[in-house]
Amino acid sequence: MKYLIAEDEIDLQQSIVTYLQRDGNICEVASNFEEASEKVSIYDYDAIILDINLISGSGLDVLKIIKKEKKRAGVIIISANNSLTDKLQGLDLGADDYITKPFHLAELNSRIKAVLRRGKYGGDEIMVFNEIKIDTKSRTAYINHKAIALTRKEYDLLVFFISNKGRVLSKEIIAEYLWGDDSDLLDNFCFIYVHINNLRKKLTAEGAKYIKTAYGSGYKFIED
Amino acid sequence: MSKKTKLIKKTSKSFLITGFILIVLSSIILYFYTRNLLQNEIEESLYSTEARVVFAIENNKIQFSLPPVTEIKKVNKLKRKILKDTVIYDASQDEMELFRELTTFKNINGENYQITVRNLVVESENILLGIVISNFAIFLISFIFLYYLNTSRNLKLWKPFFKNLEQMKQFSLTSKKPIQLIESDVLEFSELKMQIETLTQKVQTDYENLKQFTEDVSHEMQTPLAIIQAKIDNIINAHEINDKQFKQITSIQKDIQRLKQLNKRITILTKIDNNQYINVSSIHLTHLINDKIDSYKGLNINNISCNSTEVLMVSMDSYLADILINNLFSNAIKYSRKKDKILINTTKNSLTISNIGDKALVDPEKLFNRFYRESNKNYATGLGLAIVKKICDLYQFKISYQFKANHHIFSIEF
Repeated sequence: MKYLIAEDEIDLQQSIVTYLQRDGNICEVASNFEEASEKVSIYDYDAIILDINLISGSGLDVLKIIKKEKKRAGVIIISANNSLTDKLQGLDLGADDYITKPFHLAELNSRIKAVLRRGKYGGDEIMVFNEIKIDTKSRTAYINHKAIALTRKEYDLLVFFISNKGRVLSKEIIAEYLWGDDSDLLDNFCFIYVHINNLRKKLTAEGAKYIKTAYGSGYKFIED
Repeated sequence: MSKKTKLIKKTSKSFLITGFILIVLSSIILYFYTRNLLQNEIEESLYSTEARVVFAIENNKIQFSLPPVTEIKKVNKLKRKILKDTVIYDASQDEMELFRELTTFKNINGENYQITVRNLVVESENILLGIVISNFAIFLISFIFLYYLNTSRNLKLWKPFFKNLEQMKQFSLTSKKPIQLIESDVLEFSELKMQIETLTQKVQTDYENLKQFTEDVSHEMQTPLAIIQAKIDNIINAHEINDKQFKQITSIQKDIQRLKQLNKRITILTKIDNNQYINVSSIHLTHLINDKIDSYKGLNINNISCNSTEVLMVSMDSYLADILINNLFSNAIKYSRKKDKILINTTKNSLTISNIGDKALVDPEKLFNRFYRESNKNYATGLGLAIVKKICDLYQFKISYQFKANHHIFSIEF
């Protein structure tokens, strides 16, 4: 996949690039409004990660250009502003998703993939990892064409794992992904073990042993 | 605090007291002065009568007495003159009357005479009383008149003051409107008005600046936080680190999460202040509560139960309703043990949430203050209940807290 990361904070931009490149994606960057406007009108991308507050202009204006040029690219807005109006404005202008700073790269990655999967932008509704196949439209997971019964959280967890395959996911990231702000209600993350273990058991029963423990308290979805 | 008296009442009261003292004092002085005057008059007339009697005796014109007015007696020895009051039966009036009496001893034409002259005092007493009463009446009437005149004049005079006071009472920091005060031709009031305007303006700008600052800080913090978070995400993926380092890094993630929460809550507070939640709709709070309880079950929090006798519907912003319930719940969850029941009760216009606690709060009145924490556990931001209070204030809901029978109880009346 080919991504454009339009973000004026170079450190953040480079971190995003580093994370996304691990899947073999091609990442181009734009560090200001002019660069971003130019790149979106000349080149084609599968997904554009667009900061609203670009140093010399608004990301929303870049979004207008994308829509005017009828570019077939998924757009995910990143913003420091958690306001609902900004969010609605961005989505009204045709953005596909909206994420507020600070965010986990794993979360951004899984949002990008979710946008791409919606089919419009060169993605596929079907996620495949070896013998695991997930139909994201019907929210069903198959192992060797056999449907496996997963709870809602287990399903979300599996999608999150496969989206971020090969990366270490800490319990904190998983908790935040699955429960958002509510995750800070819990003193410990025992409940995460419960969900992960259940998912792991269901996968292992079908021979899919991909959930590995990393560093004692993190997880990694990976082939041996 | 001691009991406060109204300004008009106070000035009227002192006016009345002064008036009363003046009436009494002037009446007393007038009484003694007139009495003295009358007495002198009587004595003068006594002396003049006596002189006439002496003159009459000297010329052998009279030798008779006319009791009680005049008595002439021949005596052997001369004594000193006596001036005194005496009570004598007056046959004409058929009663005892008070007389002023002058007794002198004189040697006239070689013989010793005792001459006694008297004058009735009764009439002078009546005159005295009449003077005092009319004085009293005149004073009283003029004071009553002056009192009403004064009060109404004072009311008029102080009108700008009271009007402006009323304006100040209605002054709200959160509204951006400047305070509307009325001008007065009284110098002090005019000065007061100017000072109040300057002060409120300053307070308002300071408040705005502070709000802006808070907003800016929380906003500006998000980008560096995003950078830290992104870098950490990459460190755990790109580098070979050991378990201990991983633990430390994930603990940094936890702290970032705390800052995120803090930021989010500050933003909510600022937005409520800025009146940015304006989509009021009818919210089915009982539904919302039951949904929340269900979603907490996924987090393995199963100790919450809702006891609804009636359905609770409230008009408010749906996002704020969500935050309100969320914050009340998370507060109860954070401060109770996993096994302890958290009870929610809703009626048609109230909501109660209670959880078991060992002891009452040390400072319950600070409970809704920003950054107040009863204990340091659970990484509380100290803003959850401040937000709850702010939301309640926004919609004029009445929130209260009490500790009863080992339960922390929060109630909201809608």
